[in-house]
Amino acid sequence: MMSRTKQLMLLNRLVQAIPIMILATFLVFSLLKLVPGDIAITIAGENATEERIQEIRELYGLNQPFLVQYGNWLLSAVQGDFGQSLLSGEPVLDTISRVFPNTLFIVVYAVILSVLIGVPLGILASSRPNSRLDGAIMGASSLGVAVPNFWLGMVLVSIFALTWNWFPATGFTSPGVSFTAALWFATLPAVALCTNGIAEVARQLRSSLVEIHSSQHVRTLHAKGLSPSVILWKHGLKNVSVNLLTVISLLFNKALAATVVVETVFAIPGMGNTIVKAVLEGDFPVVQGAVLAMVVTVILVNLVTDVLYTVLDPRITQV
Amino acid sequence: MKNKDNAIVAEAEGFTLRRREFLGLLTGVAAVATMAGPSALMAKVMDNGGILRIGASANPSSLDPATGGAGTDHVFLYPIFATLVEWDYDTLEARPGLAMSWEYPNPETLVLHLREGVRFHDGTTLDAEAVRFNLERNRTDERSNIRSDLGSVESVEVTGPYQVTIHLKNPDTSLPLVLSDRAGMMVSPTSIEKFGDTSDRNPVGAGPMQFVEWNDGDRIVVKRNPDYWDDERPLIDGIDFRIITDSSTRLRSVMSGQNDLAYQLEGRQKPLIERGGSARGIYGATVYCYQIYLNQAKGPLSNVKVRQALNYAIDRDALVKASMHGAGEPAYMNLPSSHWAYDAEVAKLYSYDPDKARQLLAEAGFPDGIELDMRGYNDQGSVQRQEIIMSMLAAVGIRGRFKTGTIPDMSAAYFARGEGDFLVSAWTGRPDPSLTYGLLYAANSYFNAGKVEPPEGLMEAVSASRSTDNIAERKKAFSTVQQLVMENALVVPLAFREDIMAATDKVQNLQTNLLGKPKFEHVYLES
Repeated sequence: MMSRTKQLMLLNRLVQAIPIMILATFLVFSLLKLVPGDIAITIAGENATEERIQEIRELYGLNQPFLVQYGNWLLSAVQGDFGQSLLSGEPVLDTISRVFPNTLFIVVYAVILSVLIGVPLGILASSRPNSRLDGAIMGASSLGVAVPNFWLGMVLVSIFALTWNWFPATGFTSPGVSFTAALWFATLPAVALCTNGIAEVARQLRSSLVEIHSSQHVRTLHAKGLSPSVILWKHGLKNVSVNLLTVISLLFNKALAATVVVETVFAIPGMGNTIVKAVLEGDFPVVQGAVLAMVVTVILVNLVTDVLYTVLDPRITQV
Repeated sequence: MKNKDNAIVAEAEGFTLRRREFLGLLTGVAAVATMAGPSALMAKVMDNGGILRIGASANPSSLDPATGGAGTDHVFLYPIFATLVEWDYDTLEARPGLAMSWEYPNPETLVLHLREGVRFHDGTTLDAEAVRFNLERNRTDERSNIRSDLGSVESVEVTGPYQVTIHLKNPDTSLPLVLSDRAGMMVSPTSIEKFGDTSDRNPVGAGPMQFVEWNDGDRIVVKRNPDYWDDERPLIDGIDFRIITDSSTRLRSVMSGQNDLAYQLEGRQKPLIERGGSARGIYGATVYCYQIYLNQAKGPLSNVKVRQALNYAIDRDALVKASMHGAGEPAYMNLPSSHWAYDAEVAKLYSYDPDKARQLLAEAGFPDGIELDMRGYNDQGSVQRQEIIMSMLAAVGIRGRFKTGTIPDMSAAYFARGEGDFLVSAWTGRPDPSLTYGLLYAANSYFNAGKVEPPEGLMEAVSASRSTDNIAERKKAFSTVQQLVMENALVVPLAFREDIMAATDKVQNLQTNLLGKPKFEHVYLES
């Protein structure tokens, strides 16, 4: 299927990912240690004495030099041991394997919604550039970019959950437990998350299509007597597919980050909530594990996107 | 107690009875009328089972009572772990729990008489040996966070199959109430042996509910313990706690029906709850006290007149109205008015009097006012409180800037490193007042930021409160303590927080308690 050079290139990309992962976890670790705050005080609890806090620092190795602490974490992580939460003792792998599917589910849902709604809007807008319809769609998409998703989330909750009771206001069911229940729980969060995506897909698609429609190549196709729909579906969209793919992969990565806010509004046990809580408490094994999982995901998404480029556009050979 | 019984009966009348239950009720009416506490029969009628779904405010720090540390853990610990001693919901007076009774043969010995036939969830017998094991573990284990709670214990001796004798280093009658808290939550010794350091996530107690599942930051599930010692509890099949840290989202989860109940809501949400709809509010006083901690070791605050001026300068009624939407009680000492050791005379010491405050400042040698290094937290509620306090203090000539940070950071800076002149914070309260006073004012205590010797007689009065178990005598000793604290203005109490819960109509017999850490043992669900 894949040529030998392509396979080599792929391997190369994977190897390049390793320093990125180390750098990312190191940066996050440094930031965590730079931020004032001491998890030993949190662990010691309300009746803490100075001695008890000191004792806990020793018990958890928190009194060791910064680089030693990071080195210890890295050494264990390389061996597949991501440790456990300093506060609750839950193994980090358990936490991530429980919450990450929830976040991924919502993100994928939101990206699918963005494409399903954004693509027709973009095509519609590009069919008559600068018409009233085009203006309305582009105006709405400006709004879509500008609307903060936490605000939209609360508005959606107050209408569809509190007033009409169509969807739940909070909580989540893992797609592994019940797919339909997960869809039901994820709908409002995904809608809150996708407005940005719809807007971006629509805008990008419109401008690419407008450009292609005015190209000499399309003029020739018209002259050849092809119907406008054949031109759009066979030639137009094929040419913008690479652009669209870029937008979608960026969208995915953006949505992954934006879940932090949406998950709080909807009380969803996902990566965003987990990271925020762990950062506030200085629970670094959890933060490190979660960040690593996110970094790996983003790297994989980018890699898959690059591979898809070569499938969509055979002229691209460099992976 | 009597009134509460009537309330329970009245509530029970309100719902449809099944035939068999109705017959049972008829035959039991006479018994109900004479009994103290809801009878087993009434309990049976109310027992519709069902799962109570609760929006919980925080992920627990641990589900092992000995290793945890957060005040928000108790809500999860109470259902799983039975305590040696319990307390009255309204006054926090000690009540029998796993210990049916206790006595002090002399001030330095406490004898507990245990209930017989109680078993932990794993089948282990809860006898004197199990209690000894727990108390020893709590006061000596390396991982125990509550060693200081049992600091007065010299040794624990098994003096009968169901009798434990605790020998004390010094008289300590606060111990029964200490045993209503973490230190008195009995963990199965077998489970500790089995799980070792992972006991945090594998709790085995003897409480009304047994542990099923804990997913960090997500949910905690417990189910009914069919062998619980008290026939009258629990009245539900289980509790499904959903952890929702954001209080607005927590309230929404009840209003939209995902949960039946949410607790630890905020004053500003009261109008929202009361606007009607599917949720109703349940409110109650607590010992949780917002207060200004004063570092008496340095600057103007080492002068008692300046500290008194601070107390006169605060308009507590206005503060409660403005910053808590009225959901609180103005605080003039460390205990709220419904507490058994409250002293109405001491509470009269500091009425709002800005002129007096200015006069005291002048007498202290600061006719032009003073400048203070003020510390506080950076969450929305705290900032609002601090702004109000700042303007009230400025009105009498006490100026300064607030430096704010997160709770752990600012607390460490102020208490451990002695930074700043004062800290606007809170005291979460303790089951026994002597713990509160000891922890707040003893010279070597963490919470005494300046490590200043307390006024003469204060620690003696605290000791006196611990050397008798006669409640009238204890109350007298605490009056002396409170008088000394407030006359010397060691603190500026601001307001007691109101416990605010929201629940759907399905939830019955939900009660707040003075400790502000909700228990759901008597709750039943309307079928």
